Amino acid sequence: MEAILDFWAAYSATIAFGLVNSFIALSCYAVLSAGVLSFTTVMFAAVGGFVAAQMIGMFALPPLVAFLFAGVAGGVAAAVIAVIFLRLETHWMALASLALVLITRVVVLNTPTLTGGVQGMLVPVRVSVLELFLALAVTAFVFYRMHNSWYGLVSRAVREDPSVASTMGISTYRVQFIAFLISGAVGGIGGAALATTLQFISADTYFLALAFTMIASTVLGGSFHWFGPIVGAFVFTALPTTMQAVLPEIQDVAKGVVLLVIMILLPRGLVDPRVLKLRLSRSPKTAEQPDA
Amino acid sequence: MHDTPTLLQLRAVAKHFGGVAAVGGLSTTVRKGTVHGLIGPNGAGKTTVINLITGLFHPTDGEILFDGHNLEAKPPHEIAALGISRTYQNVRLFSGMSALEQVLTGCFLKRGSSLFASFAGLPAARRNWEEARAKSLLLLARVGMAGKADVLAETLSYGEQRRIEIARALGSDPKLLLLDEPTAGMNHAESQAIGQLVHELRDSGLTILMVEHNMGLVTEFCDSCTVMNFGKLLAEGTPRSCIDDPEVQAAYFGRKNDAKRIQPVG
Ligand SMILES: Nc1ncnc2c1ncn2[C@@H]1O[C@H](COP(=O)(O)OP(=O)(O)O)[C@@H](O)[C@H]1O
Ligand SMILES: [Mg+2]
Repeated sequence: MEAILDFWAAYSATIAFGLVNSFIALSCYAVLSAGVLSFTTVMFAAVGGFVAAQMIGMFALPPLVAFLFAGVAGGVAAAVIAVIFLRLETHWMALASLALVLITRVVVLNTPTLTGGVQGMLVPVRVSVLELFLALAVTAFVFYRMHNSWYGLVSRAVREDPSVASTMGISTYRVQFIAFLISGAVGGIGGAALATTLQFISADTYFLALAFTMIASTVLGGSFHWFGPIVGAFVFTALPTTMQAVLPEIQDVAKGVVLLVIMILLPRGLVDPRVLKLRLSRSPKTAEQPDA
Repeated sequence: MHDTPTLLQLRAVAKHFGGVAAVGGLSTTVRKGTVHGLIGPNGAGKTTVINLITGLFHPTDGEILFDGHNLEAKPPHEIAALGISRTYQNVRLFSGMSALEQVLTGCFLKRGSSLFASFAGLPAARRNWEEARAKSLLLLARVGMAGKADVLAETLSYGEQRRIEIARALGSDPKLLLLDEPTAGMNHAESQAIGQLVHELRDSGLTILMVEHNMGLVTEFCDSCTVMNFGKLLAEGTPRSCIDDPEVQAAYFGRKNDAKRIQPVG
């Protein structure tokens, strides 16, 4: 009986972190799907996390309400960052965003009144798995709507070939600015989700490990459809626990090998809409119709 | 023909790459409702001219006037919004998109509803989306690609991809269509079909500037043309007068006064 309870405890924690990491991965996907590789998600998460922690500490807000404030704060931070970053060439943008991760840490450590500084902050409220699930469902619905709208179509065009897209009247700046806003809002929510799941946050919560989780989940799950980052986040989150259970002696190596194998075999990720389209392409219905 | 108004005018346009003048002070005019050929040997600067008109490059010197606007320093998406659309010498379709999605993307300027309304799925936006879809299907049919709507564009043949690119360029209902070697890699029948399409488009009011190497097609389908060499104007006028021009004969075909030896150069 105790064993079952132990197992459930570990299992539900994995689900909770899978849900949290889904927000982080979707934040990365939001900009990547518009052709921007950026680690700014880590900063947006920090902003959302500390804003949520402060709001909960001061007003005893329920987690989902705190998520809303975190999303807005992340969006505002993203607007400022986008204005600066979108002036840079793509590869410089990626580098600058890594620098921003380091700057975020320094700022967090040096503003103890806002963030608790080196001590970090306790978060007196814990978000439930159900609440996380609801928040992710709403977020996923937003991504679903975007994917099937003009924004989704033109952001795919901008990602594939920004100069061709621009000669079709698409402002790449505008598309990528919107992408940053979405990334900021979702990243902020992800940061708040992380804060209310861990119940303790510090400068180290929003640092390189989160950047790695973000990029690994997105690449693993696939960055060509919004469902990819969610799948990727769950696989990436479950991998350590699974490897611990299966190959406890070499779990770290095994985890790395599994990641590499998936990325080599499925370079476009676990979820790839192109596969579906290829199947549609080959269906006899389309092949036999004569040209008009 | 010379009484028709000017749609596009290049005034001493120059573009330097480092020390090289890809275009060196070119002046030429494209009149409304005509098919205008842009010809010249490889490396003459034709593609650069198209890149300058569409704003992908900005001229080092000179100015480009289109339909009452000076295109100076305008970004490509604003130039497109004025009514200029194009295809590419090396087909540049979006990878991962079906033929229909390519053309739908081309309809972006004529979407009729805001990005937000489309995201929110407002009834008017849904209607506009369906209209854009229907229009894209019609455009695919127009270039002979009906029934290929759901096919991933990169799996199609080169000629088919070129035709999808033309459909995509037509999505924005442009005033001026720039075609960069639309018949490259096509056989005679396919080239004729493109020429036919270009004529139909002109008759429906569109102005077309096309880079074309096949001299037969130029004489058959262009109303007027501009010949360039080394980034400079060599001759201008009707296709016949251009081809008979001794300078053109010398530069383009390597020998003077031998019009019979004209070959498609590719
Ligand atoms: N982006 C560029 N950078 C440097 N040189 C270029 C660039 N684009 C074109 N050129 C040069 O400009 C000249 C004209 O090229 P192009 O316009 O492509 O000729 P065409 O289309 O008539 O064959 C060539 O010498 C080419 O090498
Ligand atoms: Mg060329």
